[in-house]
Amino acid sequence: MHELSMAQGIINAVLETAEANNATEVNEVTVEVGRLAMINPEQLEFILGVLIENTIMEDAKIVFEEIPAEIECNDCKFHGEAILDDSDHYAPLVKCPECDSLSVETLNGKDIVVKNIVIEKPDDA
Amino acid sequence: MHQVADVEVAKNIMDANKRLADKNLKNLEEKDIFCVDFVGAIGSGKTTLVEEIIDNTDYKIGVLAGDVISKFDAGRIEKHNVPVVGLNTGKECHLDAHLVGHGLEDLPLDDLDMVIIENVGNLICPVDFDLGSHLRIVVVSVTEGDDTVEKHPIIFQTSDVVVINKVDLADAVGADADKMVADAKKLNPNVKVIKSSLKQGIGLDEIIQVIEEAMN
Ligand SMILES: Nc1nc2c(ncn2[C@@H]2O[C@H](COP(=O)(O)OP(=O)(O)O)[C@@H](O)[C@H]2O)c(=O)[nH]1
Ligand SMILES: [Mg+2]
Ligand SMILES: [Zn+2]
Ligand SMILES: [Zn+2]
Ligand SMILES: [Zn+2]
Ligand SMILES: [Zn+2]
Repeated sequence: MHELSMAQGIINAVLETAEANNATEVNEVTVEVGRLAMINPEQLEFILGVLIENTIMEDAKIVFEEIPAEIECNDCKFHGEAILDDSDHYAPLVKCPECDSLSVETLNGKDIVVKNIVIEKPDDA
Repeated sequence: MHQVADVEVAKNIMDANKRLADKNLKNLEEKDIFCVDFVGAIGSGKTTLVEEIIDNTDYKIGVLAGDVISKFDAGRIEKHNVPVVGLNTGKECHLDAHLVGHGLEDLPLDDLDMVIIENVGNLICPVDFDLGSHLRIVVVSVTEGDDTVEKHPIIFQTSDVVVINKVDLADAVGADADKMVADAKKLNPNVKVIKSSLKQGIGLDEIIQVIEEAMN
Protein backbone atom coordinates (compact mmCIF):
# COMPACT_ATOMS: atom_id res chain seq x y z
CA MET A 1 0.00 0.00 0.00
CA HIS A 2 2.99 2.27 -0.26
CA GLU A 3 3.52 1.59 -3.89
CA LEU A 4 4.01 5.29 -4.60
CA SER A 5 7.19 5.64 -2.56
CA MET A 6 8.46 2.28 -3.82
CA ALA A 7 7.81 3.32 -7.43
CA GLN A 8 9.67 6.56 -6.85
CA GLY A 9 12.63 4.63 -5.43
CA ILE A 10 12.68 2.27 -8.39
CA ILE A 11 12.59 5.12 -10.91
CA ASN A 12 15.37 7.00 -9.14
CA ALA A 13 17.56 3.90 -9.16
CA VAL A 14 16.91 3.25 -12.84
CA LEU A 15 17.48 6.82 -13.99
CA GLU A 16 20.65 7.18 -11.91
CA THR A 17 22.20 4.10 -13.46
CA ALA A 18 20.93 4.98 -16.92
CA GLU A 19 22.42 8.46 -16.78
CA ALA A 20 25.73 7.18 -15.41
CA ASN A 21 25.89 4.94 -18.48
CA ASN A 22 24.96 7.69 -20.95
CA ALA A 23 21.72 5.97 -21.86
CA THR A 24 19.45 7.68 -24.34
CA GLU A 25 16.66 5.27 -23.64
CA VAL A 26 15.77 2.50 -21.21
CA ASN A 27 14.24 -0.53 -22.93
CA GLU A 28 13.74 -2.88 -20.05
CA VAL A 29 13.83 -2.88 -16.26
CA THR A 30 13.91 -6.01 -14.10
CA VAL A 31 12.65 -5.64 -10.55
CA GLU A 32 12.73 -8.39 -7.95
CA VAL A 33 9.76 -8.27 -5.63
CA GLY A 34 9.89 -10.33 -2.45
CA ARG A 35 6.74 -12.30 -1.76
CA LEU A 36 6.65 -10.78 1.72
CA ALA A 37 7.02 -7.14 0.73
CA MET A 38 3.78 -5.39 1.62
CA ILE A 39 3.06 -4.16 -1.86
CA ASN A 40 0.80 -5.23 -4.66
CA PRO A 41 2.78 -5.68 -7.91
CA GLU A 42 -0.25 -4.76 -9.99
CA GLN A 43 -0.64 -1.44 -8.22
CA LEU A 44 3.10 -0.88 -8.41
CA GLU A 45 3.05 -1.45 -12.15
CA PHE A 46 0.19 0.97 -12.57
CA ILE A 47 1.87 3.75 -10.62
CA LEU A 48 5.20 3.17 -12.37
CA GLY A 49 3.41 3.53 -15.70
CA VAL A 50 2.14 6.95 -14.66
CA LEU A 51 5.41 8.20 -13.17
CA ILE A 52 7.70 7.26 -16.06
CA GLU A 53 5.86 9.42 -18.56
CA ASN A 54 8.21 11.94 -20.17
CA THR A 55 11.38 10.23 -18.92
CA ILE A 56 13.90 8.17 -20.88
CA MET A 57 12.28 5.07 -19.39
CA GLU A 58 8.87 6.00 -20.73
CA ASP A 59 8.68 3.01 -23.11
CA ALA A 60 10.55 0.54 -20.94
CA LYS A 61 9.14 -2.91 -20.41
CA ILE A 62 9.02 -3.59 -16.68
CA VAL A 63 9.63 -7.20 -15.70
CA PHE A 64 8.80 -8.30 -12.18
CA GLU A 65 10.53 -11.36 -10.77
CA GLU A 66 8.97 -12.87 -7.71
CA ILE A 67 11.41 -13.79 -4.93
CA PRO A 68 10.10 -16.55 -2.68
CA ALA A 69 10.09 -16.35 1.10
CA GLU A 70 13.14 -18.11 2.54
CA ILE A 71 12.82 -19.10 6.17
CA GLU A 72 14.42 -20.95 9.01
CA CYS A 73 11.97 -22.79 11.24
CA ASN A 74 12.38 -22.18 14.97
CA ASP A 75 10.84 -25.55 15.77
CA CYS A 76 12.33 -28.11 13.37
CA LYS A 77 15.23 -26.02 11.99
CA PHE A 78 14.05 -26.48 8.39
CA HIS A 79 15.80 -24.00 6.11
CA GLY A 80 14.34 -23.17 2.72
CA GLU A 81 11.29 -21.89 0.96
CA ALA A 82 8.23 -21.29 3.11
CA ILE A 83 4.66 -22.20 2.37
CA LEU A 84 2.69 -19.00 1.92
CA ASP A 85 -0.98 -19.14 2.60
CA ASP A 86 -2.58 -15.99 1.34
CA SER A 87 -5.84 -17.53 0.31
CA ASP A 88 -7.72 -15.22 2.62
CA HIS A 89 -5.03 -12.77 3.64
CA TYR A 90 -3.57 -9.81 1.90
CA ALA A 91 -0.52 -10.31 4.07
CA PRO A 92 0.49 -13.94 3.60
CA LEU A 93 0.78 -16.39 6.45
CA VAL A 94 4.31 -17.77 6.53
CA LYS A 95 4.51 -21.44 7.47
CA CYS A 96 7.18 -24.12 7.76
CA PRO A 97 6.59 -26.75 5.03
CA GLU A 98 8.01 -29.52 7.25
CA CYS A 99 6.18 -29.10 10.54
CA ASP A 100 3.54 -26.41 9.86
CA SER A 101 5.00 -24.15 12.54
CA LEU A 102 4.29 -20.44 12.25
CA SER A 103 7.33 -19.65 14.35
CA VAL A 104 9.90 -18.91 11.67
CA GLU A 105 12.70 -16.45 10.99
CA THR A 106 12.47 -14.81 7.59
CA LEU A 107 15.81 -14.82 5.80
CA ASN A 108 14.76 -13.53 2.40
CA GLY A 109 11.69 -12.34 0.51
CA LYS A 110 11.04 -8.94 2.06
CA ASP A 111 12.97 -6.78 -0.38
CA ILE A 112 12.34 -4.92 -3.59
CA VAL A 113 15.47 -4.81 -5.72
CA VAL A 114 16.08 -3.17 -9.07
CA LYS A 115 18.21 -5.89 -10.62
CA ASN A 116 19.25 -4.66 -14.04
CA ILE A 117 18.25 -2.48 -16.95
CA VAL A 118 18.64 -2.75 -20.69
CA ILE A 119 19.58 0.60 -22.20
CA GLU A 120 20.35 2.16 -25.54
CA LYS A 121 23.34 4.45 -25.82
CA PRO A 122 25.40 6.12 -28.53
CA ASP A 123 28.18 3.93 -30.02
CA ASP A 124 31.00 6.20 -28.98
CA ALA A 125 29.91 6.72 -25.39
CA MET B 1 24.13 4.89 -34.29
CA HIS B 2 23.53 3.32 -30.96
CA GLN B 3 24.13 0.13 -29.05
CA VAL B 4 22.08 -1.81 -26.57
CA ALA B 5 23.61 -2.70 -23.21
CA ASP B 6 22.51 -4.71 -20.21
CA VAL B 7 23.56 -2.87 -17.06
CA GLU B 8 23.43 -4.17 -13.52
CA VAL B 9 21.67 -1.90 -11.03
CA ALA B 10 21.41 -4.17 -7.94
CA LYS B 11 19.73 -1.54 -5.87
CA ASN B 12 17.58 -2.62 -2.96
CA ILE B 13 14.80 -0.06 -2.59
CA MET B 14 14.29 -1.08 1.03
CA ASP B 15 17.91 -0.33 1.94
CA ALA B 16 17.51 3.42 2.06
CA ASN B 17 14.99 3.10 4.87
CA LYS B 18 17.08 0.50 6.70
CA ARG B 19 20.14 2.71 6.59
CA LEU B 20 18.20 5.66 8.00
CA ALA B 21 16.68 3.43 10.70
CA ASP B 22 20.17 2.36 11.75
CA LYS B 23 21.20 6.00 11.84
CA ASN B 24 18.22 6.89 14.05
CA LEU B 25 19.05 4.07 16.43
CA LYS B 26 22.69 5.11 16.65
CA ASN B 27 21.68 8.71 17.26
CA LEU B 28 19.36 7.60 20.09
CA GLU B 29 21.92 5.28 21.65
CA GLU B 30 24.58 7.96 21.69
CA LYS B 31 22.22 9.93 23.89
CA ASP B 32 21.25 6.92 26.01
CA ILE B 33 17.64 7.12 24.92
CA PHE B 34 15.33 4.11 24.79
CA CYS B 35 12.91 4.16 21.88
CA VAL B 36 9.65 2.25 21.57
CA ASP B 37 7.23 2.41 18.66
CA PHE B 38 3.51 1.63 18.73
CA VAL B 39 1.73 0.25 15.71
CA GLY B 40 -1.89 -0.81 15.39
CA ALA B 41 -5.18 -0.02 13.71
CA ILE B 42 -6.90 3.35 13.95
CA GLY B 43 -8.59 3.64 17.33
CA SER B 44 -6.92 0.64 18.98
CA GLY B 45 -5.62 2.78 21.85
CA LYS B 46 -2.13 3.84 20.81
CA THR B 47 -2.46 7.48 21.85
CA THR B 48 -4.18 6.45 25.08
CA LEU B 49 -1.24 4.18 25.86
CA VAL B 50 1.23 7.00 25.18
CA GLU B 51 -0.73 9.24 27.56
CA GLU B 52 -0.92 6.59 30.28
CA ILE B 53 2.80 5.87 30.12
CA ILE B 54 3.58 9.57 30.39
CA ASP B 55 1.29 9.98 33.40
CA ASN B 56 2.36 6.83 35.21
CA THR B 57 6.15 6.81 34.90
CA ASP B 58 8.95 9.22 35.76
CA TYR B 59 10.79 8.93 32.47
CA LYS B 60 11.61 12.07 30.57
CA ILE B 61 9.61 11.21 27.48
CA GLY B 62 9.44 12.80 24.06
CA VAL B 63 6.82 11.73 21.53
CA LEU B 64 6.69 11.49 17.75
CA ALA B 65 3.02 11.35 16.83
CA GLY B 66 2.51 10.03 13.34
CA ASP B 67 -0.76 10.36 11.52
CA VAL B 68 -2.15 11.18 8.14
CA ILE B 69 -2.95 14.50 9.80
CA SER B 70 -0.96 14.45 13.00
CA LYS B 71 -2.07 17.54 14.85
CA PHE B 72 -4.96 15.89 16.69
CA ASP B 73 -2.92 13.28 18.53
CA ALA B 74 -0.06 15.70 19.02
CA GLY B 75 -2.49 18.14 20.64
CA ARG B 76 -3.74 15.46 23.04
CA ILE B 77 -0.22 14.52 24.06
CA GLU B 78 0.91 18.12 24.49
CA LYS B 79 -1.57 18.48 27.34
CA HIS B 80 0.59 16.04 29.32
CA ASN B 81 3.48 18.52 29.27
CA VAL B 82 5.96 16.53 27.25
CA PRO B 83 7.70 17.55 24.02
CA VAL B 84 5.83 16.19 21.04
CA VAL B 85 6.41 16.44 17.30
CA GLY B 86 3.59 15.61 14.90
CA LEU B 87 4.69 13.71 11.82
CA ASN B 88 2.32 14.15 8.90
CA THR B 89 2.53 11.32 6.43
CA GLY B 90 0.06 12.92 4.03
CA LYS B 91 -0.84 10.34 1.43
CA GLU B 92 1.34 7.64 2.91
CA CYS B 93 0.08 4.85 5.05
CA HIS B 94 3.12 4.48 7.30
CA LEU B 95 5.95 6.33 8.98
CA ASP B 96 9.39 5.80 7.57
CA ALA B 97 12.83 6.22 9.05
CA HIS B 98 13.39 9.43 7.11
CA LEU B 99 10.38 11.17 8.67
CA VAL B 100 11.36 9.86 12.10
CA GLY B 101 14.89 11.16 11.60
CA HIS B 102 13.54 14.66 11.02
CA GLY B 103 11.20 14.27 13.99
CA LEU B 104 14.13 13.41 16.23
CA GLU B 105 15.89 16.60 15.10
CA ASP B 106 12.94 18.53 16.51
CA LEU B 107 12.89 16.82 19.92
CA PRO B 108 15.13 18.07 22.77
CA LEU B 109 17.02 14.76 22.88
CA ASP B 110 19.55 15.95 25.45
CA ASP B 111 16.74 16.26 27.98
CA LEU B 112 15.09 12.90 27.29
CA ASP B 113 15.53 9.30 28.28
CA MET B 114 12.69 7.79 26.27
CA VAL B 115 11.18 8.45 22.85
CA ILE B 116 7.80 6.98 22.00
CA ILE B 117 6.77 6.84 18.35
CA GLU B 118 3.09 6.41 17.48
CA ASN B 119 2.81 5.03 13.97
CA VAL B 120 -0.04 5.66 11.55
CA GLY B 121 -3.08 3.43 12.15
CA ASN B 122 -2.32 0.47 9.90
CA LEU B 123 -1.48 -3.19 10.52
CA ILE B 124 0.11 -3.86 7.15
CA CYS B 125 2.45 -1.20 5.84
CA PRO B 126 4.62 -0.50 8.91
CA VAL B 127 6.01 -4.02 8.52
CA ASP B 128 8.19 -2.82 5.66
CA PHE B 129 9.63 0.14 7.54
CA ASP B 130 11.94 -0.13 10.52
CA LEU B 131 12.12 3.20 12.29
CA GLY B 132 15.15 2.63 14.49
CA SER B 133 13.32 1.83 17.72
CA HIS B 134 14.48 -0.72 20.30
CA LEU B 135 11.04 -2.22 20.86
CA ARG B 136 7.94 -2.49 18.69
CA ILE B 137 4.59 -2.87 20.43
CA VAL B 138 1.50 -3.68 18.41
CA VAL B 139 -1.75 -2.49 19.99
CA VAL B 140 -4.97 -4.17 18.86
CA SER B 141 -8.38 -3.92 20.43
CA VAL B 142 -11.06 -6.56 20.81
CA THR B 143 -13.50 -4.25 19.02
CA GLU B 144 -11.62 -4.80 15.76
CA GLY B 145 -12.86 -8.40 15.92
CA ASP B 146 -11.12 -11.38 17.43
CA ASP B 147 -9.83 -12.51 14.04
CA THR B 148 -7.68 -9.38 13.70
CA VAL B 149 -4.51 -11.14 14.85
CA GLU B 150 -4.74 -14.10 12.51
CA LYS B 151 -5.60 -11.78 9.63
CA HIS B 152 -2.41 -9.75 9.94
CA PRO B 153 0.23 -12.37 10.68
CA ILE B 154 3.37 -10.51 9.70
CA ILE B 155 3.02 -7.53 12.01
CA PHE B 156 2.57 -9.95 14.92
CA GLN B 157 5.54 -12.03 13.84
CA THR B 158 7.75 -8.95 13.67
CA SER B 159 6.68 -7.10 16.83
CA ASP B 160 8.17 -7.63 20.28
CA VAL B 161 5.06 -7.08 22.38
CA VAL B 162 1.34 -7.49 21.66
CA VAL B 163 -1.24 -5.53 23.63
CA ILE B 164 -4.86 -6.74 23.33
CA ASN B 165 -6.73 -3.64 24.45
CA LYS B 166 -10.32 -2.79 25.38
CA VAL B 167 -10.98 -6.13 27.06
CA ASP B 168 -13.71 -4.26 28.98
CA LEU B 169 -15.69 -4.27 25.73
CA ALA B 170 -15.08 -7.91 24.78
CA ASP B 171 -18.48 -9.18 25.92
CA ALA B 172 -20.32 -6.27 24.37
CA VAL B 173 -18.86 -6.97 20.93
CA GLY B 174 -18.78 -10.75 21.33
CA ALA B 175 -15.02 -11.02 20.97
CA ASP B 176 -12.84 -13.67 22.59
CA ALA B 177 -9.71 -11.91 23.89
CA ASP B 178 -8.08 -15.22 24.80
CA LYS B 179 -8.36 -16.37 21.19
CA MET B 180 -6.42 -13.27 20.19
CA VAL B 181 -3.76 -14.08 22.78
CA ALA B 182 -3.53 -17.66 21.50
CA ASP B 183 -3.30 -16.49 17.87
CA ALA B 184 -0.47 -14.11 18.71
CA LYS B 185 1.42 -16.83 20.60
CA LYS B 186 0.96 -19.22 17.72
CA LEU B 187 2.38 -16.68 15.26
CA ASN B 188 5.21 -15.63 17.53
CA PRO B 189 5.88 -17.96 20.47
CA ASN B 190 8.45 -15.59 21.98
CA VAL B 191 6.22 -12.56 21.94
CA LYS B 192 4.93 -11.06 25.16
CA VAL B 193 1.13 -10.72 25.06
CA ILE B 194 -0.73 -8.46 27.49
CA LYS B 195 -4.48 -8.03 27.80
CA SER B 196 -5.45 -4.52 28.80
CA SER B 197 -8.22 -2.10 29.40
CA LEU B 198 -6.45 1.20 29.30
CA LYS B 199 -9.76 2.87 30.16
CA GLN B 200 -9.82 0.99 33.46
CA GLY B 201 -6.07 0.98 34.10
CA ILE B 202 -5.85 -2.78 33.61
CA GLY B 203 -2.64 -4.14 32.14
CA LEU B 204 -0.78 -0.85 32.15
CA ASP B 205 1.66 -1.90 34.90
CA GLU B 206 2.51 -5.00 32.95
CA ILE B 207 3.13 -3.01 29.75
CA ILE B 208 5.41 -0.61 31.61
CA GLN B 209 7.23 -3.56 33.17
CA VAL B 210 7.86 -5.13 29.76
CA ILE B 211 9.25 -1.85 28.45
CA GLU B 212 11.53 -1.58 31.47
CA GLU B 213 12.76 -5.14 31.01
CA ALA B 214 13.67 -4.32 27.44
CA MET B 215 15.56 -1.21 28.59
CA ASN B 216 17.97 -3.27 30.67
N1 LIG C 1 -13.62 1.05 26.30
C1 LIG C 1 -12.35 1.31 26.09
N2 LIG C 1 -12.01 2.36 25.32
C2 LIG C 1 -10.70 2.63 25.12
C3 LIG C 1 -9.68 1.83 25.69
N3 LIG C 1 -8.49 2.32 25.30
C4 LIG C 1 -8.75 3.38 24.51
N4 LIG C 1 -10.09 3.57 24.42
C5 LIG C 1 -10.80 4.61 23.62
O1 LIG C 1 -10.69 4.30 22.24
C6 LIG C 1 -10.66 5.49 21.46
C7 LIG C 1 -9.46 5.49 20.54
O2 LIG C 1 -8.28 5.53 21.32
P1 LIG C 1 -6.93 6.20 20.80
O3 LIG C 1 -5.94 6.09 21.91
O4 LIG C 1 -7.19 7.55 20.25
O5 LIG C 1 -6.56 5.21 19.61
P2 LIG C 1 -5.41 5.33 18.48
O6 LIG C 1 -6.10 5.73 17.21
O7 LIG C 1 -4.84 3.95 18.39
O8 LIG C 1 -4.41 6.33 18.94
C8 LIG C 1 -10.64 6.63 22.45
O9 LIG C 1 -11.95 7.13 22.57
C9 LIG C 1 -10.18 5.98 23.74
O10 LIG C 1 -10.66 6.63 24.88
C10 LIG C 1 -10.07 0.72 26.52
O11 LIG C 1 -9.27 -0.04 27.06
N5 LIG C 1 -11.42 0.53 26.68
MG1 LIG D 1 -3.62 7.94 17.87
ZN1 LIG E 1 0.69 0.73 2.15
ZN1 LIG F 1 2.88 2.63 3.40
ZN1 LIG G 1 9.44 -26.55 10.98
ZN1 LIG H 1 14.99 14.88 4.68
